[in-house]
Amino acid sequence: MAGPRTHRQKEIRRHLWIYGLITPYIIIAVFPIYWMAITAFKQDPDLYRMDVFPLWFHLAPTWKHFSYLFTDTNYGAWIINTMVIAAWVAVITLLAAVPAGYALARLRIPGAENLGIAIFMTYLVPAIILFLPLARVVSMLGLQDSWWALVLVYPTITIPFCTWLLMGFFKTVPVEMEEAARVDGCGYLGALVRVVLPVSIPGILTAVIFAFTLSMQDFLYGLAFVAPGDQKPVTVGVPTELIRGDVFFWGSLMAAALMVGLPVAILYNFFLDRFIQGITGGAGK
Amino acid sequence: MTLSSSSGGPDAAGARAAAISVASRARASGWFRSQTARRLSFGYLLLAPAVLYVLLLVGAPFVFSLYLSLSDANVGDPVATFVGLGNFQAALESDVFYIALQNSIVFTVVGAIFKGLLGTTLAFLLLQPFWGRKFVRGLVVIPFTLPISISVLSWKWMYDSQFSVINWFLSRIGLVGSYGSPDWPVWLGQPHLALAACIIVNVWRTFPFSAIVLLAGFTSVPPEILDAARVDGTSFMQRFRFVVVPMIAPILLIGFLFDTVFTLSDLSIVYLLTQGGPANATKILPVLAYQVGIQAGALGRGAAISLFLFPLLMPLMILLLRNLRRREY
Repeated sequence: MAGPRTHRQKEIRRHLWIYGLITPYIIIAVFPIYWMAITAFKQDPDLYRMDVFPLWFHLAPTWKHFSYLFTDTNYGAWIINTMVIAAWVAVITLLAAVPAGYALARLRIPGAENLGIAIFMTYLVPAIILFLPLARVVSMLGLQDSWWALVLVYPTITIPFCTWLLMGFFKTVPVEMEEAARVDGCGYLGALVRVVLPVSIPGILTAVIFAFTLSMQDFLYGLAFVAPGDQKPVTVGVPTELIRGDVFFWGSLMAAALMVGLPVAILYNFFLDRFIQGITGGAGK
Repeated sequence: MTLSSSSGGPDAAGARAAAISVASRARASGWFRSQTARRLSFGYLLLAPAVLYVLLLVGAPFVFSLYLSLSDANVGDPVATFVGLGNFQAALESDVFYIALQNSIVFTVVGAIFKGLLGTTLAFLLLQPFWGRKFVRGLVVIPFTLPISISVLSWKWMYDSQFSVINWFLSRIGLVGSYGSPDWPVWLGQPHLALAACIIVNVWRTFPFSAIVLLAGFTSVPPEILDAARVDGTSFMQRFRFVVVPMIAPILLIGFLFDTVFTLSDLSIVYLLTQGGPANATKILPVLAYQVGIQAGALGRGAAISLFLFPLLMPLMILLLRNLRRREY
């Protein structure tokens, strides 16, 4: 009778310890998001005062900052730009990374491992080294000042990463399925299209998510290559266009940040383990 | 006749069989060769788009940036002349370059220490089984998953010179003076505080990454190996030192190198918080390269400054390469 109860008490005490120790980490991680959210819904007179507890409302919450974004700024255009850019980047990335990942994983190309690593390493060549020459490339192609410039350059980040990710993924598809397809008279292309791709949908979807989330992490290319206010992606438009002169409209700034940040963070959250697996070469499978 | 035929029969049959097998082997190896050739040409065809994209938009620009750095290329003037190492020399002769180099190093090293501390302790906590662990993990990784330019805005508002929520709490508990007094910290306006503020954002953003990489390392150690070591009569510390550490070291190294490369070359935090000010206190190499190359339009100068990052990054990348290769199985 006493046995299970002490065990249970021990468990409760252990849990209390862990929750107590981990709470500061949670507060550190989440506080800026909370601050963003509460700012987005506060009325201006409630926002710019120092006499009251800042973490809660003292006037009724308001949607004013959100509606301001859509009526008085290019926010809607930035969201659309971001979506369209992401869609193009995903298409280009898949067209390049799916075949390359498959070839490296399956077609026994001499030196495939090293070639795969070489492609992956280009993911690490920082934008700060490439952005000046790429600025020249962009202007030679006449793409300066439109978001098409970003459609061109974002795949330099996503193709290396997704090729590497898909290479790992294709290695896990049973080789017998392809061989069976080829015995049944499919060529290499037939086996790839009819057998391998259909079972690789989860891997391909993961690559699409990364094409999206990794382009959302960029700031430099968007800042350097796209000047017109209505052409910017949302991650560049919000920090550069919503500040008029030296005046910050924090309510609308935080509303804008919240609407972009939250969905991206949630989406990325689900795929974070795949990202870590990708960069560490398969740890924690 | 019958005898000879019967005696020659097996010979002839053998010869025929040999002839057939030689022919079929020849045919088979020809078939095999053409099959291999077909497989390889298909493979190279599939590789071509990715390789070309990377060569044209990463490889070529990299070479082009070397060329730019040796020229006096300007935004307004398309004809550049060769100036040798003039841009590098100019950088090395300017004070702001050394300030930026020093700040870059301080930013990266101090950041890495705090990320390491916070990340390791968090990983050990998340390694414990407890109720709601997945949810807690989802919460603590939020800083890493938010788009960087978005989360920096929240920090900029938290560092506001007057309505800083951080200062509100600090002044309530009496750690700093009230607004307007000299003890009121202006996070982004005072040199040392501004650099600290930038480092804090970088640490906040990437400590979850350190923790998750460490966790991935721990969970990659097969329990059977630990069991085997336990059966052999090793102590906990011995198992940790001789089994766990060597197994997770390569993963940790990869995570560390990744983070260092990104921290050294990231411009967004400093650019959005302080633009390198006050008085160059937070100027780091990427911000300097951007300001010289794009804002001042001196492409050659800018390229030279950003290329100074390369000798800093190169050893890290080589280490990373060796590790990735070793981890391939």
